[in-house]
Amino acid sequence: MQNALVPAQGGGTRHVISHGPSFAMLRLDLVPGQTVVREAGAMVARHRQVAMEVKLNAGKSPGFFATLKALFIAMLRRWIGGETFFVNHFNTPAPGSVWLAPTMSGNIVYRPLRGETLVLSTGAYLAHSGDVDLKLKFGGLRGLLSKEGAFFLAVSGQGELWFTSYGGIETIDVNGSYIVDNGHLVGYEGELTFDIRTAGGGLLGFAASGEGLVCEFKGRGRVYIQTRNLQSLVGYLTPLLPR
Amino acid sequence: MQFDVLYRPAHALARVWLQANESVVAESGAMVGMSSRVHMETRSGGFLSGLKRMFGAESFFRNTFTAHGAPGELLLAHALCGDMRVLEMTQAGFFLQSSAFVASTPNVEIETKLGGFRSFFAGEGVFILQAKSASPGLLLVGAFGGIEELVCDGNMVIDTGHLVAWDATLTYSVGKSGSGWIASYLSGEGLVCHFEGHGRIWIQTRNPAAYGQDVASLLPPRQG
Repeated sequence: MQNALVPAQGGGTRHVISHGPSFAMLRLDLVPGQTVVREAGAMVARHRQVAMEVKLNAGKSPGFFATLKALFIAMLRRWIGGETFFVNHFNTPAPGSVWLAPTMSGNIVYRPLRGETLVLSTGAYLAHSGDVDLKLKFGGLRGLLSKEGAFFLAVSGQGELWFTSYGGIETIDVNGSYIVDNGHLVGYEGELTFDIRTAGGGLLGFAASGEGLVCEFKGRGRVYIQTRNLQSLVGYLTPLLPR
Repeated sequence: MQFDVLYRPAHALARVWLQANESVVAESGAMVGMSSRVHMETRSGGFLSGLKRMFGAESFFRNTFTAHGAPGELLLAHALCGDMRVLEMTQAGFFLQSSAFVASTPNVEIETKLGGFRSFFAGEGVFILQAKSASPGLLLVGAFGGIEELVCDGNMVIDTGHLVAWDATLTYSVGKSGSGWIASYLSGEGLVCHFEGHGRIWIQTRNPAAYGQDVASLLPPRQG
């Protein structure tokens, strides 16, 4: 078993990512006073003393309108797909573990956050701990043309983040500009700016090239991509279904 | 008899070495290949137990492979991408999630059991299997994703979709995950299995039903 034990520094959460890269699973060892937040629906197992509480993700200390907005987005996302954006808070009165896994085959990445912002695509968020804020980010009108591009999740603060990919995960250090297929994008660092457009330019290119929408990144920073694309799997399976 | 698991962990294939006149029982459809001296015989084990198995999302029939007169080999695979594990039978035996069964030595009795009334709503685990044997034997289980052995020392809560097998020494009950039904629904966990006691639990790192629902929700509706 390839158990990659990644020691967390500075009083972080002890965690183990195993069964990667194809079927990665995350184990978090919690001690009293520590809280871990994760995407609703990702729990595999937990010790019974680890308590779970469901919360609507409306950011840190939201006002009434922020809560209402979060609820609206949660419903919208339920309708268009992606996380419902209810999150589960785990904490424990005695040491205990919780095991988490994504739905698709793929890997899990651990990333400590030291005040920077990381923007994740729909479905890539798995869990976080510490003083971290999650904000939904609208991908723009063009982003609505594809499910992956409609919403992004901006993760910022001091703490730890675990995110997942469909397939393997590759990091690309962008300096200048770089183009990534929308469906293969996992996340990017906040200093980068991007524009969603068609790969070849023009509507015909969008329909005929099979490349769909792409994100063109500009600036300097890291982009995370996944080696598989859910829309491609769906596109492959659809004509094979019985009529 | 010997089981070797090859191509682990993503696409496991089990090779069963049979001595002359030895038999192994396998789930219908699991056979990948076999040497020519190995003969297959299909049994339902009685109409009623076959019918019970069908409700448990398994096949009506199970196949018995026998190496006639000379040693032989048999290759077995599970339908989904993932790992396989050989479990040595214990006195208490095991409980299995119904699609986890791949094969066993013929002395292992596999019985279909009702997994608990509440699990009916989850569409999974309505029926579970109990594996028992009076003498030493082997059981081959298959999973979706990797297989992890957890040790339950007191109590644990496991998502029903991630269960593969557990020691029958453990007591279990299927129930909601959170404190209330609404919280359980919003948490996205659906149903979980509460375990108590001491024993081992084997889990799969992916949930087949959740995977199916996620992909299916993106496919066009079935016609007719």
